[in-house]
Amino acid sequence: MLRARRRMVGLIGVFLALSVGLVLVGCSSDAPPEDQQAQFTVTSQSASEQAQDQPQAEPQTEQTEQDQPQAEQSTDAEAAAEAQSDDQQQAVQEQSSEQESDAAEPQMSQQDETQQDDAQPAEEQQTAAAADESEPSIEQSLAGVRGIVDPTNTGWPREVEGFNGVFSIPAKPMRIITASIGHDEIVLALVPQERLIAVGAVSKDATFSNIADLVLDKAEVSRDPETIIVQSPDIVVTSPYYPVEGIDALRRAGILVIQTELELDPQSHINNVKLIGYILGEEERAIAFADEVQSRFQTVLDATADKSDRPNVISLTQYGDSLWTAGSGSTQGSLIEAAGGVNAAATAGIEGNQTIGLEAVIVMAPDVIIIPQPAAYGAEEFRQSLFDNAALAEIPAIGSGSVYVVDSKLFTTLSHWNVRGAEQLARILWPDDFPDPPAESFSLVE
Amino acid sequence: MRVPAISRLRGYRQLGVSARLSIGASILLALVLVVALVSLSLGPVDIPISHVAWIVLSSLGFDLPEFGRTEQLVIEQIRLPRIIVGASVGVALGVAGAAMQGLFRNPMADPGIIGVSAGGALGAVIAIASGMAGLFLLALPLFAFVGAMAAALLVYGIAVVGGHFSMATLLLAGVAVNAFLGAIVSAIIILLPDNEALREILFWLAGGLDARSWEHVRIAGPLILVSAALILLMSRDLNLLMLGDDEARSMGVRVGATRIALLATASLATGAAVAVSGTIAFVGLVVPHTLRLMLGPDNRILIPMSALGGAVFVIVADTVARMIIQPAEFRVGILTAFVGAPFFILLLIKNKRQVYSL
Repeated sequence: MLRARRRMVGLIGVFLALSVGLVLVGCSSDAPPEDQQAQFTVTSQSASEQAQDQPQAEPQTEQTEQDQPQAEQSTDAEAAAEAQSDDQQQAVQEQSSEQESDAAEPQMSQQDETQQDDAQPAEEQQTAAAADESEPSIEQSLAGVRGIVDPTNTGWPREVEGFNGVFSIPAKPMRIITASIGHDEIVLALVPQERLIAVGAVSKDATFSNIADLVLDKAEVSRDPETIIVQSPDIVVTSPYYPVEGIDALRRAGILVIQTELELDPQSHINNVKLIGYILGEEERAIAFADEVQSRFQTVLDATADKSDRPNVISLTQYGDSLWTAGSGSTQGSLIEAAGGVNAAATAGIEGNQTIGLEAVIVMAPDVIIIPQPAAYGAEEFRQSLFDNAALAEIPAIGSGSVYVVDSKLFTTLSHWNVRGAEQLARILWPDDFPDPPAESFSLVE
Repeated sequence: MRVPAISRLRGYRQLGVSARLSIGASILLALVLVVALVSLSLGPVDIPISHVAWIVLSSLGFDLPEFGRTEQLVIEQIRLPRIIVGASVGVALGVAGAAMQGLFRNPMADPGIIGVSAGGALGAVIAIASGMAGLFLLALPLFAFVGAMAAALLVYGIAVVGGHFSMATLLLAGVAVNAFLGAIVSAIIILLPDNEALREILFWLAGGLDARSWEHVRIAGPLILVSAALILLMSRDLNLLMLGDDEARSMGVRVGATRIALLATASLATGAAVAVSGTIAFVGLVVPHTLRLMLGPDNRILIPMSALGGAVFVIVADTVARMIIQPAEFRVGILTAFVGAPFFILLLIKNKRQVYSL
């Protein structure tokens, strides 16, 4: 069988190599060499990215965005972006200046801050100094945050390094759009709600969004850059999955676009929270909020760290006829591990989100099955079908009735809300350790 | 890869039809049983092939010692229906492909040529996008089947406008209807706000046999068997049709009625297959074409051989799809295209003379 598999893989490899060769030959006849290389690079990146993890029920905006090349934007693209940046900076600076004068929240330049510091009474300065001794300064808290070029610079302009290059942000952005549900959820935790001026449709959909009730009245944007341009944002902070053509169109319209990471595990969201906070000029709030998220996540980790009898858990969903599970490198998998379970799919060698057969579920023999699938997509019916299938009767989770429909949006979003998923699952796995339900939500800017 | 069997099979070709049919069918039937048995024994749950054989015999009514309940259930409830559905789909696509290639006198014809696959795809996409597919198990296959039949009727209806049936018009209508239905599918996919439905559609379009149950066997099995049998009964007439309408008419064939009957039954078989498997590429093209190169163009031989060959091809492809990245699964439709397309190209290059002579 192993030999047969190798033969099959070899055959597919040869086929792919032939296809790539044909594409290259085709390109050589009708495109200049530089374009060919760029075209090839983009194509191969897209393919490899798509082959990586596919967040299982990831809301549409982010999932469809995976078509786009991420970290390794071509050098040409970066150079072009830098060449444009002066114009953009100027444009954004002008916009920001106008908006700052109108903004409800007064803005403060670095110079203003210095002057105000000087004017502070000596007593207050002493208090602040005492506080400094016990708590890390903003600069210290920002040190080590990936993407912040100079953590000691808390004034304007400030530089950040996103997936799409290094950008200078001339002034505090007041009109923000993200076009990414994960980013919307983070941004809304960091800034007054009115600064997030528009969201994608999926952010308004309570099936997928953890902030739907907060953004229902906001303007709606789509993947069409025009819908964003018409909102005149100061900045678009979005995910690496936003289409590169869209970013190019926004840049040409003079809009600063910064792509930041969307990692698949809760711990990594801390970095993104701080980076986005820094981009939006809300680093103090971001640090406090990151502490809040970290604290809640740490509570789960601490309670489950010493567990030796960790149950085998799998995440299982059914869309159409296909069964999906989440292996290593998936959001659901990382939440299972964080909540004190063993991700049986990862143990079985599954990477990312994959389709499996019922037999694979039998072999994994999970003690607990979680179903992070919206009710509207037949989660309860699917749960019942697992109990009704005689072939699955000997699976421990089926025998003990440990099959749970969980809140899918907590397990599939890419934001700090994953921590709520870890909390929910930890309560399922270790009810004695988590007798009280955790807070349903996170804090918002007052 | 030249088809070595062609020269070696010259002696075989000189045998009578019954003898050739008996020998060929026996070999391919044995192959179907062997690959089915091997496929039954392969999967994430480790079940020895001897146990598989006992379990199958036991489920056929033989009084044999029982094996582990899980093993028995895995075989009976998971693998067996899937393999039977796969074999049925292979039979349908193989037979329909052979019939279409004969009917159009074109070795490049396949069951999708008259819009059946595109119609089935549109039916399935509507079922998924409207949410009907989630309401009950049979909704999706029924929608796909209705779509396939409606598309075939539409293509045929265009071909008989004015009371005169034209094969050329039929072909062109098939191209137009395929493009039109494909555009509707694309429009639905693009406009669909629902990401989960979108993923479901894309998976369905890639063709697959995962989670097939006895319900799917009951839906498609009888339709496929009946339509395959009808096409087989018309195989002699199909041979005569390949000589030309006048020759066929002079030999007593009711040309118009036979052609319509062949189209209808091939559409029925393909529609039933598409309903339970999605669009599985290349089976209807590669299998009959390869077998024709090996066995000759006599449809009395070719059609039953294509049925069995299709069954073998789909069972093997699905088994590989199940095993190649296990415990995850690959889509069988992608695999058949991956393997079928290069194989077909090689076959075409190496056997140009035989192809052109068909």
